[in-house]
Amino acid sequence: MDFSLNKEQVDIQKAAREFAKGEFDPELILEHDRNQQFPRSVWKKASELGFMGAQYPPEFGGQGLGLLESALIIEAFCEQDSGVGMALALSDFGADLIVAHGNHDQKKEVLPPLAQGKALLTLALFEEGYALAPLKVFAKEGLPGYVVNGTKSFVPLGALADHILLVCQTGSNDPLAQSLFLIKRETPGLKCSSGGDKLGMRMVPIHRLAFDNLIVPKENIVGGKGQAHTKVKGFLNSMRIKCGAMAVGLAQGSLTRAVEYSRRREQFGRAIVSFDLIRNMIADMVVAVESARLVVYKAACSMDQGKPDAPFILMSKVVGARTAYDVANRAVQILGGYGYMTEGMVEHFFRDAKALELFMEPARLEKDMLVEQVVGKVKE
Amino acid sequence: LEILKYTEEHIRFRERVRQFFQKEVSPYADEWERQGIVPKSVWKNMGERGFLCMNVPKEYGGMGGDFFYSVIVTEELALTHQTGLVAPLHSDIVVPYITSFASEEMKKKYLPGCVSGEIITAIAMTEPDAGSDLASIRTVALEDGDDVVVNGQKTFISNGMNCDLLVLAARDPSIDDAYRGMDLYLVEAGTKGFEKAKKLSKMGWQSQDTAELYFHDCRIPKRNRLGVKGGGFYMLMDKLQQERLMCCIIAVAIAERLLDMTIRACREKTDYGKPLLKLPHSRFSIVEAATEVKLGRTFLDKMIADHMEGKSIVVDVSLGKAWMTEMAMRVADRCMDLHGAYGCYEEYRIARAWRDARVLSIFAGTNEIMKGIAAKFMGL
Repeated sequence: MDFSLNKEQVDIQKAAREFAKGEFDPELILEHDRNQQFPRSVWKKASELGFMGAQYPPEFGGQGLGLLESALIIEAFCEQDSGVGMALALSDFGADLIVAHGNHDQKKEVLPPLAQGKALLTLALFEEGYALAPLKVFAKEGLPGYVVNGTKSFVPLGALADHILLVCQTGSNDPLAQSLFLIKRETPGLKCSSGGDKLGMRMVPIHRLAFDNLIVPKENIVGGKGQAHTKVKGFLNSMRIKCGAMAVGLAQGSLTRAVEYSRRREQFGRAIVSFDLIRNMIADMVVAVESARLVVYKAACSMDQGKPDAPFILMSKVVGARTAYDVANRAVQILGGYGYMTEGMVEHFFRDAKALELFMEPARLEKDMLVEQVVGKVKE
Repeated sequence: LEILKYTEEHIRFRERVRQFFQKEVSPYADEWERQGIVPKSVWKNMGERGFLCMNVPKEYGGMGGDFFYSVIVTEELALTHQTGLVAPLHSDIVVPYITSFASEEMKKKYLPGCVSGEIITAIAMTEPDAGSDLASIRTVALEDGDDVVVNGQKTFISNGMNCDLLVLAARDPSIDDAYRGMDLYLVEAGTKGFEKAKKLSKMGWQSQDTAELYFHDCRIPKRNRLGVKGGGFYMLMDKLQQERLMCCIIAVAIAERLLDMTIRACREKTDYGKPLLKLPHSRFSIVEAATEVKLGRTFLDKMIADHMEGKSIVVDVSLGKAWMTEMAMRVADRCMDLHGAYGCYEEYRIARAWRDARVLSIFAGTNEIMKGIAAKFMGL
């Protein structure tokens, strides 16, 4: 059991931290958070330095890195700013599915532009009500291709994405008969509208995508007809680890800000870091961040080693997001009035933490899945 | 046996207040949130109906009502989805300084306007470098003949933009003792040298015009001083008890409202294919939240009763404020989780309530300060 990062990993972490420190401009952060805008300029620069799509194979524009390395990059970005970090991490939402299950042509077409900062990808999965099976969006086989109808209500970056990976039913008898389609944004029959104002993760605006007799050719199926359901579940697992990495970065960033502020801020003639209650809060924050980090790293390593540890993967998001919430919450408290003000630059970490906890599914469903992993399926 | 014995008259008053808020406040909440301020006309509208400063004696235009009237307005405000119209700040926190400590001349001059809503008040204690440590304020009031000349800066001042009259804490630079050198002055908006510098952007309370105020050679008559010279700090200590009690009332009332709202949502909405109430951990989560809310309510009502009997409740109100405000945030957070993935969309009221609830453990004395006061008065 070796808990240290190797030299390559340390270098990646350092490079990501330096990039984030240099490029995540506070003015830009506040403006993009306020306007619910994806941070395009930062994303482009990040891709020039090879941070985007780092886990894609080199022949498709990536660096062939593992999930742990991706997690380190995401963590470093979110540590500097939770909003920008999450936006960059979700700029190719669904790409893991193409890497794992796409054919050569699909990979060749989609992956390099994602890594080069020339295109965005999203996964259109969640519908009103959030049920994963059966889905209401249906693709009917016909000529010259499949005809898609229905609405996806919660698609991250839905209106901005150049490529959309659609998960939908392709058979009505079996709720698990679902397929993945790669769709280009400009395809006729696709309408986008805003999913509304969000509490946090505002640089990843959510859109509603309505499919009206949209025609998609057979060859755009990713991973075989009717094969999508388990593949998507596997993808959600890798996302839970990435969410854990976002969470740990967010928590670390909150902790760092709280420590800096408490050393600088003087009340009653001394720095507030010298007060019992503040010290106790900082200690709790350190315990939480370091514990969550170990869980996320272990989960990522288990995937990279080809032995996915299901409970740890679920815990990455459960523990990660709750830690992000608790630590950001305390950071707001330590900064006091400034913590509540936009200019204090921690209140959006706290909002982002809550949005992250609710992203994909709320913690109570993850906990339920975790129980199932540990005690097995139990009859009701 | 009810802890608080409301009379028929109180009950009818509550009904009138509720109807007024339903008609004149709640429908405009979204608009005020966008504008970042509540129109002054709404304050006047409230005043005309006798919903402001109910405790002011009849001779100054008030109704000479008991504290129940304050409790009623504060609780009913929690149902309005906005925080900008912060009547308890005016009626129960600021105006009592005038009622208790101002000269007869000042009372006659200002109180009728405070009751009618023509005068909106604010209190300015906090400065950029003086938050928890109130004695370290640097705003100076230098005596010059019949006037004092004020210089300094205040921040995080609620009603900062709307206020017509300000209770200002400032120190006499000729007195070294920070406690005995502090005074409170009434400053009218529009006085030369008093600048409402800027409205502050914050996580919640977005319809509240929290502002930064500047004083540059601002000349005010000496007779605008409240109480005896050098009594400022002691007046603040005296009145902060009721200020913190108001925070407790707000916290408990918000928690009660959010729980009601969430239980309703859980019955009506479906998520992941089931009514929210049937999702894992919903019922017990609601029960646990209800437990905290009921404990808070019982403790609060006891405090209100003691306060009305004129007892010192400094220990109870200090530890109570710390617990109840955190309880309100815990309940808000649980309620958001119970709403499922929808919770973080601003179109659901829970998102705003969650953002708004967070400030309660920061303002009117942070919870760390509350614990310090409780410890001190418990002789620890």
